Amino acid sequence: MNIIVCIKQVPDTAEIKIDPVTNTLIRAGVPSIVNPYDKNAVEAALQLKEAYGGKVTVLSMGPPAAENALRECLEMGADEAVLMSGREFGGSDTYATSYILSQGIRYIGDYDMIICGKQAIDGDTGQTGASMSEHLNIPQLTFAVKIDVDGEYALVDREVDEGIMSLKAKLPVLCTVGKDINEPRTATMKGKMRAKKMTVKVINSADIGNMDTSKMGLKGSPTRVKKTFTPSVKKAGMKVEGKSAAEAVEALLGDMKAKALI
Amino acid sequence: MTIQDKLGVDKFNTDELHSHIQVDKTYGDKEEIQRVIRVCPAGLYSLDDDGNLLFDHLGCLECGTCRVLSGGKVIKEWNYPAGEKGIAFRQG
Amino acid sequence: MEADFDVIIVGGGIAGSVCAYQLAKAGVGVLVIERGTSCGSKNMTGGRIYTHTLAKVFPEYAGEAPLERKIVKDIFTYAGKTVEYPSADLGSQGEESYSVLRKGFDQWVADQAENEGAMYITGIRVDDLLVEDGKVRGVIAGDEEMTSELVILADGVNSLLAQKLGMKEEIRPGEAEVGAKEVIKLDAAVIEERFGVAPGEGVSWMFEGVSTLGHKGNGFLYTNKDSVSLGILTTVGDIDCSEETVAGLVDKLHEHPEVKPLLEGGKLVEYSAHLLGKGGEVTRPKLYGDGVMVIGDAASMVVNRGYVVRGMDLAVESAVLAAETAMAANEAGDYSAGTLASYGEAVKNSAVLSGAQENIKNLEEVAEVFSE
Repeated sequence: MNIIVCIKQVPDTAEIKIDPVTNTLIRAGVPSIVNPYDKNAVEAALQLKEAYGGKVTVLSMGPPAAENALRECLEMGADEAVLMSGREFGGSDTYATSYILSQGIRYIGDYDMIICGKQAIDGDTGQTGASMSEHLNIPQLTFAVKIDVDGEYALVDREVDEGIMSLKAKLPVLCTVGKDINEPRTATMKGKMRAKKMTVKVINSADIGNMDTSKMGLKGSPTRVKKTFTPSVKKAGMKVEGKSAAEAVEALLGDMKAKALI
Repeated sequence: MTIQDKLGVDKFNTDELHSHIQVDKTYGDKEEIQRVIRVCPAGLYSLDDDGNLLFDHLGCLECGTCRVLSGGKVIKEWNYPAGEKGIAFRQG
Repeated sequence: MEADFDVIIVGGGIAGSVCAYQLAKAGVGVLVIERGTSCGSKNMTGGRIYTHTLAKVFPEYAGEAPLERKIVKDIFTYAGKTVEYPSADLGSQGEESYSVLRKGFDQWVADQAENEGAMYITGIRVDDLLVEDGKVRGVIAGDEEMTSELVILADGVNSLLAQKLGMKEEIRPGEAEVGAKEVIKLDAAVIEERFGVAPGEGVSWMFEGVSTLGHKGNGFLYTNKDSVSLGILTTVGDIDCSEETVAGLVDKLHEHPEVKPLLEGGKLVEYSAHLLGKGGEVTRPKLYGDGVMVIGDAASMVVNRGYVVRGMDLAVESAVLAAETAMAANEAGDYSAGTLASYGEAVKNSAVLSGAQENIKNLEEVAEVFSE
């Protein structure tokens, strides 16, 4: 089982402050973390590797500093790390990013499964994983809560509105995962020491070769952000209290009548 | 500013599931309990309406004061949170 | 069996990292294990660092280390009276010192050690020590072990590890103070105007016996580059004497009529707390054993006389002395208590670690001096 896990370095949302004057996010000086769902993806990959052998490669696209995020995954136990970093990638939207990452996957080569977090907590689009499977022309099994393999097939339980959907698909496949699939491990002392001796391979489009430059960066990104804004704050709700449920209902009805809502 | 508001500006890598401090909530000496409530700089010890001791490890600044004051009494066990978890000072 | 490292240091604070720096520079294989996500993230100080010992380790510290402001003015509020002195006039108490915030400073010291070849692992809590036949042979974290010829405990004032080894008794409530501090953001220019200092210069302000604080709470204020550190210290065992909570004492200092206008418009950016030993030989643990030494706050390397509180310079000194002993032990290939005893001797003979306490007057004496 050779598994590639795609990860993203995102701003630590716990550290983001809102500018009280402009009401916008202050991003300056905000530390970066591995997108939390991507850690679930790494954990899922490590568990499969532990069960069936093989290797886990983590892949990311981003500025040189994204190496830190990849290192964190190496500390968890990933075997190799590749960072796609180059000016030509800058300004990419999810469409361009999924193309670029799919080319990175082509560069890494031999793989049975790709696992991604279901979405990144900074953009929350959830598009990159699914689009990558289209670029690679392989099955996509999104929102997986259980991943197993049986010979040439992936057996995946997906969480859907109606319940759990069990699917079987021929490898290679792409899965996306959320928080429910596992509890990501914390790195061990030896894992951290091992990662210190490992190098993150940094590549750009020239290293990969034969990349379609019109599909990368700002010019390869059809998405245009029209406007970003902070939603207005909702007024606090009302808590209806009473000694018993019947009393509470009575109080609520009284209030609604008073406000001419019923 | 309430103590909760003050803790709200701090950064914590919370370990929701595991408390690094074990408290004897049935400890008999009410005065000792009052001392622990007063001494915690994060105000994590409190009494509910019925006088029961409440404790929340989230928000702990890991100073160890409660242990020094009441180790073996109200405080049954005191350890640091697991690696990476707990308070992460940005100023110090 | 060959150990994984020559030396493992538990704790990446000032003591741990200065020790690691000295050892790495001498070619000793050293691993530092820090439980925070990064060095300094679990540490706090009042804080003011007297740099005489740091200068011996890092001669260029003044231009390189992330220190806040050079303290040029010492203010004391005692019995309702406030007096102000140029720091230079205060003799050894006024010697070169800076306000400091630990997150940035500790990381800087760790970086110096790492650049010299020390290995750092962060985010790992050492749970116990590996002891065989009474000799410390390494550390245990979770279900993992890491071995070394020597373990140096720099795990701070609580030092649960020194306690586990029986080298240190549990701190008594009367022998420790709890400190709680707010860091309040203010523009550098505002600080300079309100406190009457030039850019790069700052003040230290100690509050004793302020009625609003109750006699058991002492306050402190230090100006940083673009923030003010404001906090209190109170003896843990004295908590009965005060109707106030520890957290409430900080609020009281905030409302102090001399303090309040100086903080106008400031914004709280951090609230922190820490234990502080009262220092002195009585509280000092056993400093060495077979395969182990204790340094810094873990070894009660602190002077605490109410109006003068210093620990970081002592931490540096103890780290330097322990490193010297560790180098000699490494050379001799002998890490037994007999060899490590030279660290204990060095501490005894150190002017900084012993003498510093002698030339500090009692508060009453100081008050007399002030009143003259």
